[in-house]
Order: sequence, then structure tokens, then C-alpha cells
Amino acid sequence: MSKHLSHHPDKEMLVEFSAGTLATAPSICVSAHLHFCQQCRSELLSLDQIGSQLMTEAEPAEIDDNLFNRVMDKIDQAEATEQQPSEPSTDPRVAGFPLSVSKLIKNKFHTPIWKRLSASVDVARFKTGQKDFEVALHRICAGGKTPKHDHHGLEYTVVLRGSFSDESAVYKEGDFLIRQPGDVHQPMGAQNGECICLSALEAPIRLTNPLGFLMKPLLRINPM
Amino acid sequence: MLRKNIDIVDDKAQVKSRVAVLNTSEKRSDQWTLLLVAVGADRDRQAFAQLFSHFAPLLKSFAQASRHEGWFPGLSEDLVQEVMIKVWQKAAGYNPEKASATTWIYTVARNCRIDMLRRKSNTQHLPLENEDFWHEPDEETPVSLLRQKRTEDKVQDSLAQLPREQDQILRKVYLEGKSHAEASEELGLPLGTVKSRVRLALQKMQILVAPEYQDELSHE
Repeated sequence: MSKHLSHHPDKEMLVEFSAGTLATAPSICVSAHLHFCQQCRSELLSLDQIGSQLMTEAEPAEIDDNLFNRVMDKIDQAEATEQQPSEPSTDPRVAGFPLSVSKLIKNKFHTPIWKRLSASVDVARFKTGQKDFEVALHRICAGGKTPKHDHHGLEYTVVLRGSFSDESAVYKEGDFLIRQPGDVHQPMGAQNGECICLSALEAPIRLTNPLGFLMKPLLRINPM
Repeated sequence: MLRKNIDIVDDKAQVKSRVAVLNTSEKRSDQWTLLLVAVGADRDRQAFAQLFSHFAPLLKSFAQASRHEGWFPGLSEDLVQEVMIKVWQKAAGYNPEKASATTWIYTVARNCRIDMLRRKSNTQHLPLENEDFWHEPDEETPVSLLRQKRTEDKVQDSLAQLPREQDQILRKVYLEGKSHAEASEELGLPLGTVKSRVRLALQKMQILVAPEYQDELSHE
């Protein structure tokens, strides 16, 4: 767990995450970043205290006299049918991954399947019920070049394993990036191994490579 | 250690010693934290009853503050129930070294509120609960209790002194559950203004960067 990451979500985004007002898809990406980033975890702890303080300062509301007993009844019922929590698995597919991503991968109703996107990139899309975002994993093979593309919408990316680079920087495990609409980039996988990234994509991306149109149907946003 | 119905009021010293066992170097000693620890360690129903009578009215007020799309007043009591049941069930996993009981219960409430909204909207495919997003690995170097307390005090003191416009945005975001974009629309302010008010508030509260990283950043 490196604590010296260079690419973090901005503070306003952490505030929205702490308040629970950030949309689901970017929240999955922020939570993935937090898994790797002690600095942001520690800031989040402080931000949570804002919510906590505001909650305790509020005028207390009237509570029905019976509510406590109803809660205790439900607790007793639940304990009568208590299930043992399942053992944490050691599934190699999710080794070192954040819990939210592991759960998406192991979703028994929808196992994401790797599909070839280009010679060096595979994609596995998650079923998250999000209408506006496609949440997916991208796998870039060692030294692989992705097709040059730009974005119609925002794209959040978190490196989960390995590293990749583009024109401006090298991105390592845990790094969090946002691509703005109109950004053109061409990520390249590191030479020393494959790179797996989590991404939440708001709208279709458009290939700018002359032959790119061939790829277009595959890169179409495909919310599930 | 499965004892029931310990009278926490008469028996605070015992609870304190239990906290001390959990946490030998430093300890939190506010009454809510002691009570929550007693619920977690001993399934102490009287301690839980005291937590309930303090937090249920605050939780209901928090629920009533929600202006989320799809939220309606009838859900407020459901939220109180759901949160208090979770508090009982998860108390054993509560770690007083990481957060005060109040902050911990706030995070349970926030997560429950989002889960309730998500269940109501078209996201039934999401195999995640909101608390999964907050799953944190055990820290190699946890933020010390002293530092946490300093932040808690800073938040508490400075929140009351924020300019009205900054306070208003934080309340919209944390209590009403508005995103920055929604707040900007509602207040008729540019998004950039909303974001800069949030940032100014954070600067004033001095919680932008955790203290242990400030030195590092100043060398950059």
C-alpha cells in the first residue's frame, strides 16, 4: 500500500464522497483509490467529522415511544436466524483489489467477461445498474499501446495493478485520474507487466486514429 | 464475555477498564464511545438503550433533513430503525481508535440513507452496499488519537464560526444530501463558486491535508 501516490481525487470530490452525494460510479472509483491511499483515507476521516458534527448539532426530532421496542424485536428476530459471515476468499482474480471492486467481480448474477478491444487492450464491463456510466475494467498488456482516443464525457480511472503512462505522466497502483471531455490521450502499458485499471465512463469515447472507426462499436458506452 | 444487562451507569469503571484493555496507550472516554464499546463487547442492552435515546432523535432529524430525490418523510423512521439495528449488529467491529462513536454512527447513517435510496431507484443490479465503499484496510500507521481529537475539536469550533455562505453549502451537502452541482443549481450560483466555498470552509477548518503530510507537501 503506497502512501505516496501523486494522483488523487480533488478535495471537493472527497467531500461529496464523505457526504454520500457523489454518484455511484465515481464513488466506486474513489473507494478504489482510498484502498491504496492512506492520505485520502485520513482526510476522509476528518471530513466525516463535519457530517457527524452537523448531525449532532441538529434539533433532535420526536421519537415514537414504541420505536425502541420495535427495534429490539427486529434485532432478536435477526439474531435467531443469524448467518455466519463467509470467509474472505483468496480468489487470485481479486488479489489486492479494493473490496468494492472484488464484490463487483465476484457478482454471482453477472460475472464480467474479458473481451478483446484492440490488440493490446481487453475490457470487462460490470453490471452496476447505472444508466449514465459504464463501469469497467481495462487490461493493457505489457508495453501495449491503446488506440488514441478522446472523450465525449468524463472518465474516471484508477490503476488497480501494474502501471501505465501517457504523454504527461506515469500512473501507478492506486493513482486516480479524471479525463475531461475533449481530452485526447494514448495510454501505454508499462513494459514490466500487464496493467489493470478500473474506469467509470460517462459517455462514449471517440477514436481519433484514422482506422479508429472500426473500433467504434466496441467502445460504445454499454451501461448495464 | 457474554454478559447481558449490565447496568452501565453504575458500572462505568468496569467499562473503562475494558476500553483500556482494548486500547492500552490512549483511550477515548466520552460516554457514547464507552456505551458503544459495551454494546460491542457484551451485547449490553442497557447501554444500547442509552445510545438509542441519545441518537435516535438525532438520526430522525438527519433523515428529515434529506432532500434527496425520491426521499419522503415516511422513510425517516425506517432509517432510524435500520441504523440502530446496524449499530447493534456491527458494534463488535467498532474500533474506538479509529473514530468516535458519534462519527461512526454518522457514517452508518449516511451509508444506510444511500442504500435505502439506491434500493428505491433503478440500481438493483448493484451488488454493493454503501459500506463496501468505505471498507478500509487496517492502517499501518493509524492517525493517532491525539491528532483525531485535535481535528474533532477544530471541526467543532470552526464549524460554528464559518461564514454563513460556507456553512449553508456544507449543510446542503451533508444534511440535505445535495451534490455540488445540485447545490449550485438550487442557489443560482456557478458550480465554481460552490466548490470554492467548500474549499474555503475546509481551509478554515484546517482539515485539508492530514498533519503528517503537511511537511512533505511543503517540500514539493
